[in-house]
Amino acid sequence: MLRNFRNFSDVEFDFYKSGALISGENGTGKTNLLEAISFFAFGKSFRNCHDTDLINFSSDHLHIRGEFVKNEHILQFESGIEKNRKKISLNGSRINRTSNLYKFIKTVYFSPEDVEFLSGAPVFRRNFLDQALSQYSFSYLELLRRYSHILKQRNILLKTEYENAIKKSWDKQLINYGSKLIDCRLKYLDSFIPRLQKNYQCISANRENLSLKYRYSFPRRESESLSSDLEEYLEEIAGQEKETGHTLAGPHLDDLQFEIDNHPVRSFASQGQKRSTAISARLVQAEMIRVKDSETPILMFDDVLADLDKIRTRNIIKLLHSDHQIFIASPNAAIYKDFKLKEIKLELLP
Amino acid sequence: MFTGTLALLVQHLKKLPGIGNKSARRMAMHLIRMNKAEAIALAESIKTAVEKYRNCSVCNLLSEDDPCQFCRAPNRRDDLLCIVENTQDVYLIEETNEFNGRYFVLSNLLSPIDGIGPDQINFPALCEYLRQHQVKEIILALNPSAEGESTINFLAAELATEIGKITRLSTGIPFGGDIEYTTSITLGNALKRRYKVNDQ
Repeated sequence: MLRNFRNFSDVEFDFYKSGALISGENGTGKTNLLEAISFFAFGKSFRNCHDTDLINFSSDHLHIRGEFVKNEHILQFESGIEKNRKKISLNGSRINRTSNLYKFIKTVYFSPEDVEFLSGAPVFRRNFLDQALSQYSFSYLELLRRYSHILKQRNILLKTEYENAIKKSWDKQLINYGSKLIDCRLKYLDSFIPRLQKNYQCISANRENLSLKYRYSFPRRESESLSSDLEEYLEEIAGQEKETGHTLAGPHLDDLQFEIDNHPVRSFASQGQKRSTAISARLVQAEMIRVKDSETPILMFDDVLADLDKIRTRNIIKLLHSDHQIFIASPNAAIYKDFKLKEIKLELLP
Repeated sequence: MFTGTLALLVQHLKKLPGIGNKSARRMAMHLIRMNKAEAIALAESIKTAVEKYRNCSVCNLLSEDDPCQFCRAPNRRDDLLCIVENTQDVYLIEETNEFNGRYFVLSNLLSPIDGIGPDQINFPALCEYLRQHQVKEIILALNPSAEGESTINFLAAELATEIGKITRLSTGIPFGGDIEYTTSITLGNALKRRYKVNDQ
């Protein structure tokens, strides 16, 4: 049930266990509907926007309700947003922190902007990894929060006339939590990468090889521990850090490098190859959750197959696990007929 | 409705922790409605307490007497010093009946965002305290927040040469807690600092 959510003033939808193909002209609210479904997974929009942006222009508040069935239990979520206030409840009890929602509903959103994490700045790839990992492990989210807070404090300190002893008190924490964070990422990638390669090979019909490397923002020697490498490098660049007022090494500056047949995707891949890489990565994100929590996340494709050829599309369908509930939004329903989903056609509102 | 003296009262009440506009208005209305003698007694008690309480010149604790009761007590150990953030932490530690040393109150934790450095955590006064007292062990009873950790790291490094033993409160599974509901940072800490069963 959506009331005053984006362009919907008051509607209710009912979906099958298999999902739905949401069609309709541009501007009918297809992405908005996906956004509403995934709202209960994260307690916020998957678009980078303010909560108040979700409210219909004609109103000053919104109210949405969603019922999910998980392991034969009904989870009833409700949320209301008005100016500066957001309330989310699950089965009648209030949820105080949006991150407490993460464990209930898992969704993976295949965004048209996903190619950006391949061609864009490193921050997009880090965000992808951080988001996937936060959904995968609550401890990662906890570490990430702590690290970001320490980083903020340290950056402010670097801009002031500080005593070296004070800087050291923050360095120690940055190194400790930073290396724990990187360690979590590496462990995740250990099982992520082979799955990614397998998916990509399947999509490209064994014609191309995709690989992925973790790029450190500091010199990494295999003989030393992560923390001592980071510590040593931070000492080395202390002068530079003081000059710029920024922390210049750590997980917040590390990057991922995707390569197809040993060429960096960022600068050499075609649009279709980038799209296939992004889809492979999102599929592994879902697979990792399935393997760890033995639950199949909801998949949401926001018209991401439009620029792929028929063979690749067919190969992607082959990769999908049959238990996923799948939502697809597209103005061209015909492209997605092989998914065999019930079509919900949205109309332009008068 | 809220003008003149009443508006001023609301403004002052809003400065109290946890008091927003609505609660402040409700309290103000209640105060002017209540028994005059009682309300004035309340005002007087605030005035007296505020005037009488000051920071102890030795340990910085908020106290009616200077030096405070803990600094004056003859039966407390002088070689054991517990460093806390706030005065109320002292009373919490007292309730445990596990500690019989002296206290030192920092009043703040290091936080570059809030402009809090060594001077604001009373570090110079702490150094002065250590010059005048024979302290053999320091217990850093500070929150395990990022700011608390930073303060612990700083004090431990700065005092390492003068003080033989510097400890901090252990971080781990709370008493009556459940491993299943412990976050992995906490559980990791508990594992790393596990202790022998006989040491209980």
